Parts: sequence; C-alpha cells; structure tokens
Amino acid sequence: MNASFENRLLVVWLALCAVTIVSLIVGSLDGRVAHGTNAAITTSAIGIAVVKVRIIFREFMEVRHAPILLRRLTDAWVLVTATSLLGTYFAGLAFSMG
Amino acid sequence: MSAAVTVPDAPTGSLWHRIVWHWRHDPKRELWFAWWMMVIFYNLYGLLFFVVTRVQPPPDPAWDVATVVEWFADHHHGVLAGFGIVFVITGFIVPTNALLAYSMRRMSVSRAFAYAYLVIYSLSAVPGMLLTCIALTAGAMRPDRDPELIHWLYDFAFMAFDGTMGVFLIGSLVWMAAILLDRNRVFPKWFGYLNLCNALTEVVVAPAWIFKRGAFAWDGEIAWWINMVVFVIYTTVFITLLRQMIVREDFGTGPLPELAPKEATAAEEGAEAPSGLMGTAR
Amino acid sequence: MQLANDAAKSSGYVPGQPDMWAFVIFESFLFTGYFVVYMVCRTQSPELYLQSQAELSLRIGTFNTLVLLTSSWSVARCVQAAREGAFQSALKQAYLTMGFGFVFLVSKVSEWAQEIQKGFGFSTNEFFSFYYFLTAIHFLHLLIGFIVLGVVVYQLRSPARRSLELVETGATYWHTIDFLWVIIFSLLYVMR
Repeated sequence: MNASFENRLLVVWLALCAVTIVSLIVGSLDGRVAHGTNAAITTSAIGIAVVKVRIIFREFMEVRHAPILLRRLTDAWVLVTATSLLGTYFAGLAFSMG
Repeated sequence: MSAAVTVPDAPTGSLWHRIVWHWRHDPKRELWFAWWMMVIFYNLYGLLFFVVTRVQPPPDPAWDVATVVEWFADHHHGVLAGFGIVFVITGFIVPTNALLAYSMRRMSVSRAFAYAYLVIYSLSAVPGMLLTCIALTAGAMRPDRDPELIHWLYDFAFMAFDGTMGVFLIGSLVWMAAILLDRNRVFPKWFGYLNLCNALTEVVVAPAWIFKRGAFAWDGEIAWWINMVVFVIYTTVFITLLRQMIVREDFGTGPLPELAPKEATAAEEGAEAPSGLMGTAR
Repeated sequence: MQLANDAAKSSGYVPGQPDMWAFVIFESFLFTGYFVVYMVCRTQSPELYLQSQAELSLRIGTFNTLVLLTSSWSVARCVQAAREGAFQSALKQAYLTMGFGFVFLVSKVSEWAQEIQKGFGFSTNEFFSFYYFLTAIHFLHLLIGFIVLGVVVYQLRSPARRSLELVETGATYWHTIDFLWVIIFSLLYVMR
C-alpha cells in the first residue's frame, strides 16, 4: 500500500479520535449533571464537531484533491451548519436573558 | 440502435398551426399530452390546496373542538369549491403516473418496475389525496353537524393526507432502484439518489401519528415544512427530467441519446431532413 | 489503477460518482435543517433539555463516535487498496467497515433499549423525541450504508466487475454516515 498515504490516513484517524476524547472531557466538565446552559462547552462541542467534519471531508473523502466547486460546497456546508447552530444557540441565550 | 421514425417537416408558423401539426403527426404526441396534463395537474393541485381551499399549510392538530368548527366555517366555501374541482381533475393523475411508468419501460430494467410503480401510485391517490378531500368536504358540508363529528373529520382528513406516506415511500424506492440499475441512461444517477431523499422524507412524516404539537406534528417544522421543501424540489426536478426524456426519446431499446445543444439541433434541422430524433425539439 | 493514483494527486479529482456527491450535499443540508429545528426548540426549554440529556451516557456516545471514525478509516483504506490493485486487502477493509458498522448498530439498539427501560420513550418529552428522531434517521442511513457496502463488496469480489468508481462512491456514502453522526453526537450528548 502506498506508504505515505497510508500513514496520512493513520495520522488523521488518530487525530480525530484524540479530538473526540477532548469532546468527552469537555462534555464532562460540568460534572455530567444538569447545571445550566454553558456557552463555553457548547461552543467547544460544536466547534470541535465541525473541525472534525471538515477533516473528514478533506482527508477521508479526499476533497483536498477535488475540484474547487466541491471544496467550496463542503466548506459552505460546514460554515452554514456551524453558524446557524451557534447563532441559534446564542440568540436563544440572549432572548432568555432579555 | 434507434428506430427509424420518419416525420414530415415540423412547421414553423403560428402557434395554433404548430399545435395542430403536432397533434396530427408527432409520434410523441401522447407523451407530450401526458407531460402537459402532469404540469397542469401539479399547478392546479398547488393552487387548489394552498390558495382556494387553504387547507395547506395544514392547521394545528392541537386545537380544541370549538376552534376546529370555526376553521371549517372560515374555509367553508373554499373547501367546497376547491375540492369540487379536485374531484373532477383527479383523472389528471392517470397520465402523470403513466408517463412515470413509461420512463421505467424505456429503461433497461425489468418491466416489473414500471408495473409495480403504476399499481402503487394509482392506489396511493386514495389515502394520499382523495380521503382528505372527501373528509374535509363532508366536514364543511353541514356546518350544524355535531362538533365532535366535525373534529373527527378534521383529524381523519389530515392524518390521511400527512400520515400515509408509506405508499409514496415504496414508489420512490421502486423508481430509485430502476434508475440506479438502468443502463439506458434515461435519468442521471443523481436523480435516483434524489428519490432516496424523497423516500426518506416520507419516513420522517411518520411521527405525525403520535404528536399533536411541536416539530413532529402534522403541521410541524420537520414533519411538514422541511418535507414540503424537498417535495417541491423533487417534483420540479422530475417534471424537468421527464420533459428532457421526451425530447430525447428515440423509441428504441438502447441507451437514450443525450440532449444535443440547441444550436447543433437547429443546424442539423436546417442542413438535412429531420430523422425524427430531434424533430420535435422546441 | 496507477492512473487513478496520479489523478488523485493532481487537483480536480472527484472520488466516486459526482451524483453521489450531489446526494451527500443535499442530504447534509437537509440534516442541517433538522439540527437547526432541534436547536431552536432547545433554546426554548433549556432546563428540560439539560435534565433529559443527563440521562444519556456521554461515554456510549463517545464510543459510537470512535467506532464510526474507525469505520471511515477502514473504508478509506479500502479505496486506497482498490486503487493499487490490492483487491484482497480492499475486501478485507470493506468487511472491517461492515464490522464496525455492526458494532455501532448493536451499541445503538442496546442504548435505545436501556433508555426505554429507564422509562424514556419517543414521546416522553421534547428532548427525547429529538433524540430518537435524530438517532433513528441516522440509523436508517446506516442500514442503507450496509446495502451500499454490499455493493462495494460485490464489486471487489469478482475481477470482471471491479469498478473503482463504484467503490469510491460507496465510500463517499459511508463517510457521510460518519460525519453526520459527529454533529449529532455534539448536539445530543456534549452541548449544554
């Protein structure tokens, strides 16, 4: 098997798993008992998630080598998803406090 | 190998003259007739359900009996008039389903796909549309009926419409399977996958049976609104693709010829006698 | 196959059918629609969601995520092996991917069973409606994924059939199951 590509895939997989463990830690930060909404945890959670998705796109799905349209479309999805989710969350926080 | 279909020269001239010519000579006239019936049907369907009867977007399943009776009173004339027309034009579904089944006949896959689709979609109009229209018309017909009965008709109507997507689901999957297996390139593969998207949205409607409020109720953001967006996109796409199929049709059994650019078509028609391949291009 | 490797290195190579990519993009935006509806509903009853969310096991969710990430890794290796003509190796990776998918399946079903036993069903409250809905619609995509992998295996087994395009198409679909779960995990299990 093409050694460098194989290694790259291995590194990507390890990185994704490591980052997932970070999510586990982040999600356990408030003692895993419902305390209250926590913007820091949520932002980290969603932020980490979209970073992982983008890595999956670019490395596993090989969008790195894809035509520019596909790169733009996948990036657009990541951006739209992150923005709409975090935007909704923060709008919700703002309204509940106001 | 395409069948040799010789057609006299398509005329240029007034619209009426051209229509008469196509009615008499065009070998694809039945296909075009079916396609136009389909376009008219979907436009009327949208108009009748959303504007005349105003039963779509659907009203709230959580309303109490009094509010429901009031809704029927508000919609009395629209419902009776609108659904009166729907009952008359229901037959338009026939050429629509026939054209879709025809597209599967043209494919390299077994004819069983076309027949299965025809059976499923012919049956689906009963729960998927007619039961709703009948129940709502019955509800509107006698405003002095027992309110509990009116409420029952209301529930029955909307559950019939939004909750019986299972039939449409199987139909979409049949069409999807046919498209993905087809070697005649009648439709692009992405349309096969779009059928899968449509089929999945039918599944998403299922929770409407359980919830009377929220995103999963029959008027919910997920069970109705997002589904409607997908449905409109899906319908627009297949109407367009069916049109392209008819233009490309060569009445053969091999791969369907690709759509030629308009300039090339015009040049061909000018340079030589039309072979009937693109003779009906508009 | 070597040609495909070179093509993959230069810019402008679409792995698998572009049609499948159209599906992936469309389906992904559809899911974003579902996610946003979830988030909007969540912001309106934060306490309910927080309390219900505490009933879920973050560890199981993390395990699920790791399993799917690994399955993505194996299907990517499958594609790479197929490109180099190492079809037996590719087949092995495809079977491994199915295996990981199956682990996810068992884990998810037993998680549902656990939650139902604790008394939390589809209509228990709004959070649980979303929990079951999102995980179930994802699960449905997973089931379709098994069929897709079946097609990939079918292609790889016979020398007459080996279509690299179909193998790549199948892999593209499988990765979608993975990345959609990554988002679902963050929304159901991690966020507060």
